[in-house]
Amino acid sequence: MSRTGSLRRSFLPRLSPALPLYLFTLVFVLGPLVYMLALSFMHREGAWGVAAEFTLRNYQRIGIPEFAGTFVQSILLSLISTVMVIILGYPFGYFMARLDKRWRSRVMLLLIIPFWTSSLMRLYGWIIMFRANGPLDILLMGLHITREPMRLLYSYPAVVTGMIYALLPFMIYPVYASAEKLDRELVEAARDLGASPIRAFLTVSLPLTMPGLFSGVVLTFVPSMGLFFIADILGGNKVVLVGNLIHEQLMKAHDWPFAAALSVVLMVMTSIFIYLYRRLSRTLGGSGELEGLV
Amino acid sequence: MKKNSVVLLTAAIFLIPFMVISGCSKKDTVKKQLTLYTWAEMFPQEILDGFEKDTGIAINYVNFEEDETMLTKLQTAKGGDYDLIIADDYIIETAIAEGLVQKLDKSKLSNYRNINPLYQGPFYDPRDEYTVPYGAGVVTLVYDPSRVSVNIRGYADLWDPSLKGQVGLLGNYRVINGMALKVLKQSYNTNDTAVIRQAGERLLGLAPNIRLIRDDFLEEELLSGEIAAAVMYTSQATAAKLENPELEVVFPTEGIGFGIMGSFIPSKAPNAEAAYAFLNYILDARRGAECFEYLGYYSTYTASDPLISDEYKSFLTLPAGFNVNMEMIQNIGEEAEEEHSRIWTAFRTAAGQQ
Repeated sequence: MSRTGSLRRSFLPRLSPALPLYLFTLVFVLGPLVYMLALSFMHREGAWGVAAEFTLRNYQRIGIPEFAGTFVQSILLSLISTVMVIILGYPFGYFMARLDKRWRSRVMLLLIIPFWTSSLMRLYGWIIMFRANGPLDILLMGLHITREPMRLLYSYPAVVTGMIYALLPFMIYPVYASAEKLDRELVEAARDLGASPIRAFLTVSLPLTMPGLFSGVVLTFVPSMGLFFIADILGGNKVVLVGNLIHEQLMKAHDWPFAAALSVVLMVMTSIFIYLYRRLSRTLGGSGELEGLV
Repeated sequence: MKKNSVVLLTAAIFLIPFMVISGCSKKDTVKKQLTLYTWAEMFPQEILDGFEKDTGIAINYVNFEEDETMLTKLQTAKGGDYDLIIADDYIIETAIAEGLVQKLDKSKLSNYRNINPLYQGPFYDPRDEYTVPYGAGVVTLVYDPSRVSVNIRGYADLWDPSLKGQVGLLGNYRVINGMALKVLKQSYNTNDTAVIRQAGERLLGLAPNIRLIRDDFLEEELLSGEIAAAVMYTSQATAAKLENPELEVVFPTEGIGFGIMGSFIPSKAPNAEAAYAFLNYILDARRGAECFEYLGYYSTYTASDPLISDEYKSFLTLPAGFNVNMEMIQNIGEEAEEEHSRIWTAFRTAAGQQ
């Protein structure tokens, strides 16, 4: 009697304010996940129905080279995009932190403004840019750099450009956040002790901004696995990523169980990636959290 | 004071329409309303207005975007709620099988004889008991003769090396894989996975020629010169041809795939009489012609064909003596469907690696 009483006293009051949140998570996060997991072990029936019989067939089908290839293709594109985003975004974020206050907020505003339009709209902007005889062609031909229209649209480089464009801010912000916290005096101390600028950067600034770079990598690599519409729009549907395959299985093939299995595998892969990130981040002395955003 | 009057005025503006609607809707719509359930923009506004004026039946036009949404709603309503539905062939097959469609009483359709026999007795309704066709889509080849050096007459011509990076395709894998099946002189609907696999290998040879695969606005790409030849749907071919009359529209010699949109009355339609009235109204030769010109799909009424204006005639009516082998794409077995998914993914990936 007294035990249940104390339990109620200690447990319920703590639980109750957050109860709606727990319920929300249960219904809208856990529920769909369980549904998806269950669906992935069923099989399709008729044109688009689902038969509730246990099967491993969907997971076996993922092993077929064509379908497994979409995972390879996705990881490859994500890797290429992430590396490009590091090359462009790291210096951007790093030097942005060194601007004076007024310029810093101006640059930040310029980074945010494009987000006020729909991402699809911005992608269509790239289509106009890359189109045969579009602005880019006119410029390059006007400068006598190229002689005839380049066929940029619906190509792999176009997809990579779109990915970089969509992901760049997610690298710049975390890098900026950790570069801003960087104690400039440490760099000056290194310089005073005779380190060259490059050596001072490599031994002081880079390790201290590593957490920002790391979370930037997570924030670009993980979502890039799901940005299938960029491959659709700028790649002319020819670069088949896991996301494209899932979309197609849902919308065109009406094979929901296979789409669910693909999603489960994709989620497991992403989770492993985040787990590795946290392990690596902890061994390097970080908190394992996402610097700059969490 | 002034502020108050502004608030009142705003409130009045917002409330008046509601009062009007709630005031008049109760009395006269119970019997005299047609709930029409189909895609958006299936009829010219004049036809809808004309029907309301001539019959006094108000049209409640409800939209869906995907056939599957329609079927789910119809299943939930157990064949009720809607009076007339227009959807794609393959989904009607399922709707009929599930008993969600009522048999037509043709004595109520005096214009029934206007239908083109070519579009009758389809796989989903072999004895024409349940449906009336409304427009047909034919997969055609469209190309710009000024930019193509081959004389394209059939699917096989798309494999020509001179078309490298010049071809656009619509994104339906049954249609595109089916193209290779047709080149191999096979049926679209084969369940033989070995044959589908063979078609997939054939398709890989086409990959270098593919510039893009897309369902929407494919015609824009042809008009802008991004591609020189395309496999497209009727409505796209219509739009392209209207914009640039120089384009060639070809019925592939290997045979063509086509789809029919069919109208049917659900088993428990609240107002089947209104549905009959509307069906008969659009089955009229002249009104039918107006509808097909607006819709951009092939006319399914023989009586309407001569009334379609010359501008549209060549691509909304089939030429006289048309005898190319026609086949409709139907539901196939699970394994065949899976093999189609596989060869389609392989094909797209190969096209992307060029």
